[in-house]
Amino acid sequence: MAGRYRIVHRTEYQYGRPMADGFTTTHLEPREREHQRIESVDLFIDPSPDELERSLDALGNPVTRFAVHRPHTSLVVESTVVVEVGLQPVPAESPAWEDVAALAAAARDDLANEVGPYLASTLSTPFLPELATLTDDEFTPGRPIAAAVSGLCQRMFGGFAFDAGFSDVTTPIADVMAARRGVCQDFAHVACAALRSLGLPARYVSGYIETMSPPGEVKLFGVDASHAWCSVWAGDQGWLDFDPTNDQMPPMNHITVGWGRDYDDVAPVRGVVIGPSGSQTLSVSVDVVSENRQ
Amino acid sequence: MTSDALRYVPSPGRYDEVVDADGTTRPTWQAVARALGSFDPTVLLERQRQADRLLDAQGTGHLVHEISLAPDRHGVTAAARSVSHPWRLDPVPFVIEAPEFRRLADGATQRMRALEALLVDLHGPRRLVAEGILPAPLLHSIAGYRPVGTHAPAGPWLVHYALDVVRDAAGVWHVVHDLTDAPTGLGYSLLNRTVLARVVPDGLRALGVAAVNDHADTLRRALTAAAPSGLRSPRAVVLTAGPADPTYVEHSYLATRLGLHLVEAADVVMRNGRLWLRVLDGLEPIDVVYRRVLDARLDPLEPGHLGGGSGVPGIVWGATGGRLTLANGYGAGVAEAPELAPYVAEAARHLLGEFLTLPLLQPDAVLGSSPVFVGDDASPFAPRPVVLRMQLARIGDEIVVMPGGAGRVLAEGDDPRRPTAQVVKDVWVVGSGARSRPVTVGAPPQVDFGGSVPKRVADALYWLGRAAERSEVTTRAARVVTAQLLQDPTLVSFEDGAWAVGVASLLRAAQGVPSAIAEYEGSSAELVGRELAATCTSAAAQLAALVQEATSVREYLSTTTGRVLGRLARAYPLFAGAATQADDLDTVLVDLAALSGLMMESTVRGPSWRFLDLGRRLERALGVLGAVEASMALHLPPMAQQPIADAVLGANESLVAYRRRYRSEVDFQAVLDLLLRDDANPRSLAYQLDRLREHTAGLGWSEGAALVERASVHSLETIDRDVVNGRIVSLDAFVLGVRGPLLELAAAIVQRWFADPVNPTLMRGH
Repeated sequence: MAGRYRIVHRTEYQYGRPMADGFTTTHLEPREREHQRIESVDLFIDPSPDELERSLDALGNPVTRFAVHRPHTSLVVESTVVVEVGLQPVPAESPAWEDVAALAAAARDDLANEVGPYLASTLSTPFLPELATLTDDEFTPGRPIAAAVSGLCQRMFGGFAFDAGFSDVTTPIADVMAARRGVCQDFAHVACAALRSLGLPARYVSGYIETMSPPGEVKLFGVDASHAWCSVWAGDQGWLDFDPTNDQMPPMNHITVGWGRDYDDVAPVRGVVIGPSGSQTLSVSVDVVSENRQ
Repeated sequence: MTSDALRYVPSPGRYDEVVDADGTTRPTWQAVARALGSFDPTVLLERQRQADRLLDAQGTGHLVHEISLAPDRHGVTAAARSVSHPWRLDPVPFVIEAPEFRRLADGATQRMRALEALLVDLHGPRRLVAEGILPAPLLHSIAGYRPVGTHAPAGPWLVHYALDVVRDAAGVWHVVHDLTDAPTGLGYSLLNRTVLARVVPDGLRALGVAAVNDHADTLRRALTAAAPSGLRSPRAVVLTAGPADPTYVEHSYLATRLGLHLVEAADVVMRNGRLWLRVLDGLEPIDVVYRRVLDARLDPLEPGHLGGGSGVPGIVWGATGGRLTLANGYGAGVAEAPELAPYVAEAARHLLGEFLTLPLLQPDAVLGSSPVFVGDDASPFAPRPVVLRMQLARIGDEIVVMPGGAGRVLAEGDDPRRPTAQVVKDVWVVGSGARSRPVTVGAPPQVDFGGSVPKRVADALYWLGRAAERSEVTTRAARVVTAQLLQDPTLVSFEDGAWAVGVASLLRAAQGVPSAIAEYEGSSAELVGRELAATCTSAAAQLAALVQEATSVREYLSTTTGRVLGRLARAYPLFAGAATQADDLDTVLVDLAALSGLMMESTVRGPSWRFLDLGRRLERALGVLGAVEASMALHLPPMAQQPIADAVLGANESLVAYRRRYRSEVDFQAVLDLLLRDDANPRSLAYQLDRLREHTAGLGWSEGAALVERASVHSLETIDRDVVNGRIVSLDAFVLGVRGPLLELAAAIVQRWFADPVNPTLMRGH
């Protein structure tokens, strides 16, 4: 549901022993989109960083890098953002998917660099032959791209089981394809790879989703999560988002942070600490609060 | 000379370097033949063996990869060992005339400019994509292409560039591939020339072969020229992944030739936009990193990083601030991606408006050949394709080509990109104008880090000192006992096995395990045999540790030291447990003595030497105490005392000194005096304590000095011969009293000087 959201995304590392230096790169600040306005962004870091720099990466995503250069046994990164999100309209008519692929292949000038990265076969989105089993029956000759993608979305929702215990950020999509299970990142990688192998530009989108609680129940704190879905290029219709994990096109209650070729381009928090080896623990909590209904 | 003199038959229908299509030897080669004097296989074989020996002196790192049995302190794994091989130098060079080389050099220079323009475009406007020259999916699918973290460097993308070229069957030079990430081969080329200059010095002189050694200087100037602007004397380092890297030998050699510190990721830290070297007394800034670490392994914070937490976190971000130069720039590796190679010519046309003069080699091309020495008497040479690796450096706007290179020999069926033959030819540029043109562009001077020593180097030198001493202690103990047994095999049952218990205990002390032997299985002969075998195994392990530590600090040791290390590494298999021969132990002892002599005489007295010697002295002090405790503190029947005392004195290299001084049968107090209190005996405890006192004072380290003092105070305690439970209790108390502070000192050295939380850990994603 479109509206105004406050998102609190907290990542906490406990190192057990003091670390001398810590380096962190975050993709936590959401980027503006046609249907998304950023009201405020607040990044809380404890211990306070000794150096920090905010910039845009080559794909246009805001990135914050910071470092701590004194002994610390824990690190908290908490981003609080307030965004206004509208519903992305899905066009009633869209071009045939082959025409979109032909346009992408023939793209020149700025367009070539806009869609180009999202045609890539990367480490996380390899063009596996078995991806055809997802697309063969949907991408039939002349079918409008929106309809075909929606069909892919439905097919994946029906054919794959959500299983938080099955995979982590390093699980290859070949395993996901074989086991037909995984989490949102896996499904987004699979969908991107399937579309790109047809020559269709597809973005891996990183963000949040508001989890609905069953009617009458009080929503628990910290049950929301980072989320990932996809965006397909539809020629002059622009980029159309869809969520294979929840079979939504357009996504209903999604807040975009950024996008890339795959997870690696937009990993929310990536860090390295220098210090004695020991057990480190990580806890992450995400809260997405719709401010409309308060 | 004709090809008959060479007894060489080239492949028909292919261009050959020596013999032309009519079967006549080319004029250049007639001169080469005169200059080299002889193509007699026995002469060439001798030259090749001499080259092997000379390469060994530098190539100890290869040996390390062979002997280590498990991943060691430096992480050398079986995988690294399998890809690291010593190479052989063909005694006959690859000869190319100056005018032809100049054409090649012009082509290579042009290609380096084209790749520079390509990198500027791919990491910037991507005009090649926008204008349809380069397909976007192809570019973005290249694993080495990471537009996300990459920023244009302040200087050039390519400071150092190498490329492989080869002749096809028609004699036309083609590009095999480019090396832009961390180009290899320069160190090997310089090394090969150094070796061949020793093997055939007259040949080089007679032919007027262009010198290549200037190129190290050229590269150093290129590095300082690329430094952040405004620096009058930039500091540069060579960054290596460490001894586990298959090309570590080259890194170490290059660092020495460039006169730069060789650093590993753990030696540096990125703070506030600057890179800092961890030295003994803090941090020193670095301005230029000549990276021998690939893009993909440089910075664990960057997307697409391989190798977990390895690399220097934040270095890519830091370099964007303009106060650090990475040479080559982070992201330069994409230019060598095979996927891009077919587009380079078109890119050059588009970006530079130039046609590349060197064509790209097609995958199925038939190649030309060159005679390669195979050592067979009947036909000593075989025709083989040889791929030339050229080296280029950019100083400001000028590109300098090294007049020479490495010719890598292809085996049958080899991919020209990956020769498997492990045979290399030195490349000689001959003829008029072969001398390289002097470099005209000035570059700021490089300042040395003065007396500063990277912390890791001090650490490794300290352990090298300890391992060297420990190897000596174990080897000598085994040698002494073996010798006594050879002279008098009846000793094993002497005095009801008292000798056997004494020497077994001594051997256990040498292995560094508790020496007390209360009861034992089997006969006394079996006891001694068992402990001898264990001591030899332990000596082998110490020797491996010694070579490993030395390899990680190779550039701090002299060339001669390298040769001795090579011999020691090869001695490793001699330690065949119980079967180890006394002669083999002698050989090793001589090499160890040579090593310690070199450490004393060929290492500059600075902080690095201090840590080397600190390790050695500490280990020797502990060794003497262990030996005395193991054997002298045992209450033995009088008849067994003599051979045991001989063994202890022998194991501590003090037997001759004892005989000369006392000219008497063994005397308990006299032996202890010589081993413990005689400060004129370089093997005595007192002597080691004096050196430790000097070193702790030299470091200005009061905590260490206090511990040495405590040990010294205990070393003055008197020792009588009262026996309790079969042991001389005052001697046991003496050993305990001195050893305690020394063990504390060992721990304090690590804590004070080396302990640094320097292992980067990747925080888990979610």
